[in-house]
Amino acid sequence: MSDDAVSDNGALEAVPPRALAARGAAWTLQRGPRRWRRYSPWMFYAFVSPWLLGFLALTAIPMFYALGMSFTNFDGLSGHWHWVGFANYNKAWHDQHFWSGLRTTAVYGVVTVPLSLAGGLGLAVLVNRRLRAVGVFRTIFYLPSVIPVVATTLMFKLLFDRNTGLLNTVLSWFGVGAVGWLSDPWAFKIMVLLALWGLGGGMVIFLAGLQGIPAELLEAATVDGAGAWQRFRRITLPILSPVVFFQFVFATIASLQTVVQPLLLSPAVNSGAGGGFTDPTHVQAGDYLYMVHVYAQFFDYQQYGYGAALLWILFVVILVITAAILRSSSFWVYYEVEQDGKAGRR
Amino acid sequence: MSGGGMTFGTRADQRRSRFLTYTGLILLAALFVAPVAWNFLYSLKSAAESASINVHLLPQHAQWGTYKQALTLIDFWQYLWNTLLIAVPYATLITITSALVGFGFARLRARGRSGLFVLMLATSMVPQILTVIPTYVLFTRIHLVNTRWPWVLWGLAASPFLAFLFRQFFASLPAELEDAAILDGCGWLRIFARIFLPLSKPVLATSFILSFTWVWGDFFTPEIFLNNDKTTLAVAMGNGYTDPVTDTPLSNVLAAGTMFYVLPVLIVFFLAQRSFVRGVATTGLKG
Repeated sequence: MSDDAVSDNGALEAVPPRALAARGAAWTLQRGPRRWRRYSPWMFYAFVSPWLLGFLALTAIPMFYALGMSFTNFDGLSGHWHWVGFANYNKAWHDQHFWSGLRTTAVYGVVTVPLSLAGGLGLAVLVNRRLRAVGVFRTIFYLPSVIPVVATTLMFKLLFDRNTGLLNTVLSWFGVGAVGWLSDPWAFKIMVLLALWGLGGGMVIFLAGLQGIPAELLEAATVDGAGAWQRFRRITLPILSPVVFFQFVFATIASLQTVVQPLLLSPAVNSGAGGGFTDPTHVQAGDYLYMVHVYAQFFDYQQYGYGAALLWILFVVILVITAAILRSSSFWVYYEVEQDGKAGRR
Repeated sequence: MSGGGMTFGTRADQRRSRFLTYTGLILLAALFVAPVAWNFLYSLKSAAESASINVHLLPQHAQWGTYKQALTLIDFWQYLWNTLLIAVPYATLITITSALVGFGFARLRARGRSGLFVLMLATSMVPQILTVIPTYVLFTRIHLVNTRWPWVLWGLAASPFLAFLFRQFFASLPAELEDAAILDGCGWLRIFARIFLPLSKPVLATSFILSFTWVWGDFFTPEIFLNNDKTTLAVAMGNGYTDPVTDTPLSNVLAAGTMFYVLPVLIVFFLAQRSFVRGVATTGLKG
């Protein structure tokens, strides 16, 4: 690209963003006499270089380093490693903890993501009403999502402790015996509850979306006889669908990499029952997520090669799932095209 | 559903619906507050009471001494200092570099810009956990483990999420801003530092607060990168407290320590609530 073209493009900055759609026309209009030479294209690369170099050095290189490692029997310490081909991937295929971890993580994602999105949306609708002290409720629902994960997990452990927890205390008033909530078969359900406690983060995003919906639209629908549910289903939900979509993508990716919660929820942690506080071997079977298995390979068994293979399998799984969700968007995400007030389906 | 004047119905209907809404809201709020409230009540219990199976809702004799123990049984101030030594440089650096990147994408043009922008958004979806373990293995080999340098490097590398936040802000400013400066022969770095940065104070605050609280809350990275003498409060809380004599865990002191650990986040949250909300709401992502 010649400098001329760059400066022409640069001059386009003066055009308001809305008009950028009519780019071609503007380009020919401003093509005539050259204005001043604004900058060389290298200026752009200089400005974005922190991200570009950082991405290469701290994301791409470690990722490909791990890919190389996954074809070795490297143990992290000794220099005596050699190439083992696909042995680590083959091992995963026959590893029952690999499959159970994958299954548990899939169930965790399938349960927590829709529930926290629906819950967040429901709460957003609830606190979007003009009520007295509604701000207090918004804050209360939002707050848990900003509390660091270590603290929320520790609080949950106190709440659901078998002997001294609040839940068992309340249950004992009704004559219910002590339940070991942090052990199987309850451990998984408590971990899901912990994820749902943070659904206020989604609520705030949905709330911002709800407040952007023009009131006239809803009023017009009411005049036309639409009930509350119809208004929600036909107006609110379509307008919010891009927000729901992005939340869905990021919540899915986040749920698949959950690791700190199961490690810290383990009943052995801070109980004096031995084992390091992040000893994956003490994590309950129901909480044994995929990343716990990966963590164990690196930090318990020094099986770096196998751990790296497991990381890459997860990476490919996440890539496929993300691509599938992105492809599906055209079926259920409604994009509003802000042109002459017309809205269209894309 | 939305808007006060839209509900049709009698006054009694309205009053009943409002009563039901408030009942629901209060019940939900009680559920959301319960874990924090229980943690607080628990922190006031004596060691004997917190270990007893005979549980009371309220502590029998409120013991504020647990809060003193929380600061003295472990080297609390050292962990706090360690956290600040990582969080402040990281948050400062990443705010500056992300602003630079965001500015580049918003105001400068070059071949491949839109492609790079899409790539940057895509990389924000690369699960952080997938890169952090390989980075750890790599950094062990170049002796960067158990130092604070990794956080400096991550700070210098900018964050796609924050860069996007800055880009959205810078792109919304009028082009006349730099036109005059260019005519005067002002360089782009000066245009950025003198004209655009001062205008972006709210975004700078949002970026700093989000990245600071990220380090404050991060457990996984310091847990694998740092030894006990350099590690952060998050890891210290994960380790918990034990009785110096009997070596039994002290969950009541840990509850007090957790309150100390959470308090700064809550204070920052209340002081800068709008920054938090802007961070999540303008991008549709969670920080």
